[in-house]
Amino acid sequence: MKEFFHMKFFENNDLLIVVALIFGILTFASVLFFVIGKIKPKANLIELKARTKSWWVMALVFVAATIFNTKISYIAIAFLSFIAFRELYSLLDFRHSDRRAIFWALISIPVQYYLAFIGWYGAFIIFIPVVMFLILPLRLVIKGETDGIVASMSLLQWTLMLTVFGLSHMAYLLSLPEIEGFDSGGRGLLLFLVFLTEINDVMQFTWGKLFGKNKIIPKISPNKTWEGFIGGLISTTIIGYFLGFLTPLDTPQLLFVSFMIGFSGFVGDIVISSIKRDIGVKDTGNSIPGHGGVLDRIDSLSYTAPVFFHLIYYLVY
Amino acid sequence: MQKVILQLIYSFFVRWFLKLIVGVRFNVAKFLINEKQFIIVANHNSHLDTLSLLASVPRQLIHKIKPVAAADHFGKTRLKEKLSNFFINTLLIQRSRDKSNPDNDPINKMLNAIDDGYSLILFPEGTRGSPEEDQPLKKGIGIILSQRPEIKFVPAYMKGMGKAMPKDDSLIVPFNSSLTYGEPTKVLSNDAAKIVEQIKIKFDQLKEKTF
Repeated sequence: MKEFFHMKFFENNDLLIVVALIFGILTFASVLFFVIGKIKPKANLIELKARTKSWWVMALVFVAATIFNTKISYIAIAFLSFIAFRELYSLLDFRHSDRRAIFWALISIPVQYYLAFIGWYGAFIIFIPVVMFLILPLRLVIKGETDGIVASMSLLQWTLMLTVFGLSHMAYLLSLPEIEGFDSGGRGLLLFLVFLTEINDVMQFTWGKLFGKNKIIPKISPNKTWEGFIGGLISTTIIGYFLGFLTPLDTPQLLFVSFMIGFSGFVGDIVISSIKRDIGVKDTGNSIPGHGGVLDRIDSLSYTAPVFFHLIYYLVY
Repeated sequence: MQKVILQLIYSFFVRWFLKLIVGVRFNVAKFLINEKQFIIVANHNSHLDTLSLLASVPRQLIHKIKPVAAADHFGKTRLKEKLSNFFINTLLIQRSRDKSNPDNDPINKMLNAIDDGYSLILFPEGTRGSPEEDQPLKKGIGIILSQRPEIKFVPAYMKGMGKAMPKDDSLIVPFNSSLTYGEPTKVLSNDAAKIVEQIKIKFDQLKEKTF
């Protein structure tokens, strides 16, 4: 049993502080919305309440997946990739004849996460961008259906990159070698990345709601404003600075990395938004279960994970 | 024995396999517990249809529900017939009527199963057809309901499963799909053709609601 629970997690105060902080914030938000709802029954809190609720679920799942044995963390992130990948290719117009190639792409998920697990960096970093990039078109060619094959080749590779290659960087964080004097390790980095990415979403949303005037890209996301974007960036950078104890970075590096998480999180958000707009599910949001599903939750992460990983890898390892 | 095995297979393994791996979205149809006997009428695209319907009915009912299936497919060999009857609880029928031999007539077989107290799962489109395309409904369901008008029909509509496992392929490729139930409904007429029309309308309404 002791092996099963990751005891280091409980011994490490840094991680514990942040986890307590996360649940503190969530409790505060839930109580706040509950009280506002009682005082001002007319206030429209449905969206905020729904968001808080899904945060609770995600935080619990995330903390559970990291408290337990590390192997479970890899499996949990791999499963997240799988769900996101399935959701995205189900929405896109793949041909009937692409089924086998999609199946092969699915097989690449356990392989990619296994490479992350054993920490074979060279293979991990080329497996999807090079190996799968070369193999998937071959599978489509063997099927022999040339009508629309270019679209299928491109879509499949791109979907795989976004949902599997990008997110698998979260898992590789856990495989980074230990550094002396830096106790929270890969778990700390993963927590830093996920917490900052999500807090950035919340901050951009909050600043936008409070002060948003000038739209930044009205065609794609009418709710996104310059005020929300800049306010979010600044808040994220500051919060990142205070969470620096989870990383081995010095102050200028920390500020830069936090800023980049804020920036790339925004980019991921609008990229997924534009995809949904193209497919025509944008305005339906969460009202349709599944369409506003996992993809909505991992939009920013799919960008921040590789950006954060490679910055850290360059700066520290 | 069969009851426990069916419950274990469908209410546990198949249910979670469909939800987590294949990506079929459905709720357990708890409202069926209040119905004594019913016929689930569903559109048909894939072998996953039957599995999803069985996985979505409440555990207590599963052994009292017989999916109606074509004998030429599921009863090809004695072994296949035995396996289908045991593990899917199928009622095997011929695709066309047989007036000369009442014991072998599909309508009679279904009526007998109803009189024995079973509920049925019926795919009035007949064959699975091309993936994700609706086909005209056959009138067998109309004949049955016109002769047993006290039995309610429960419309069910499924989307996406023809992509996860289409007719010409036995490989399951996960695909976000869904199963939606309509309300148990009594027939409005005792004319078979009108009953089929009523079901068709229910299907179209459900289709609108299914994402």
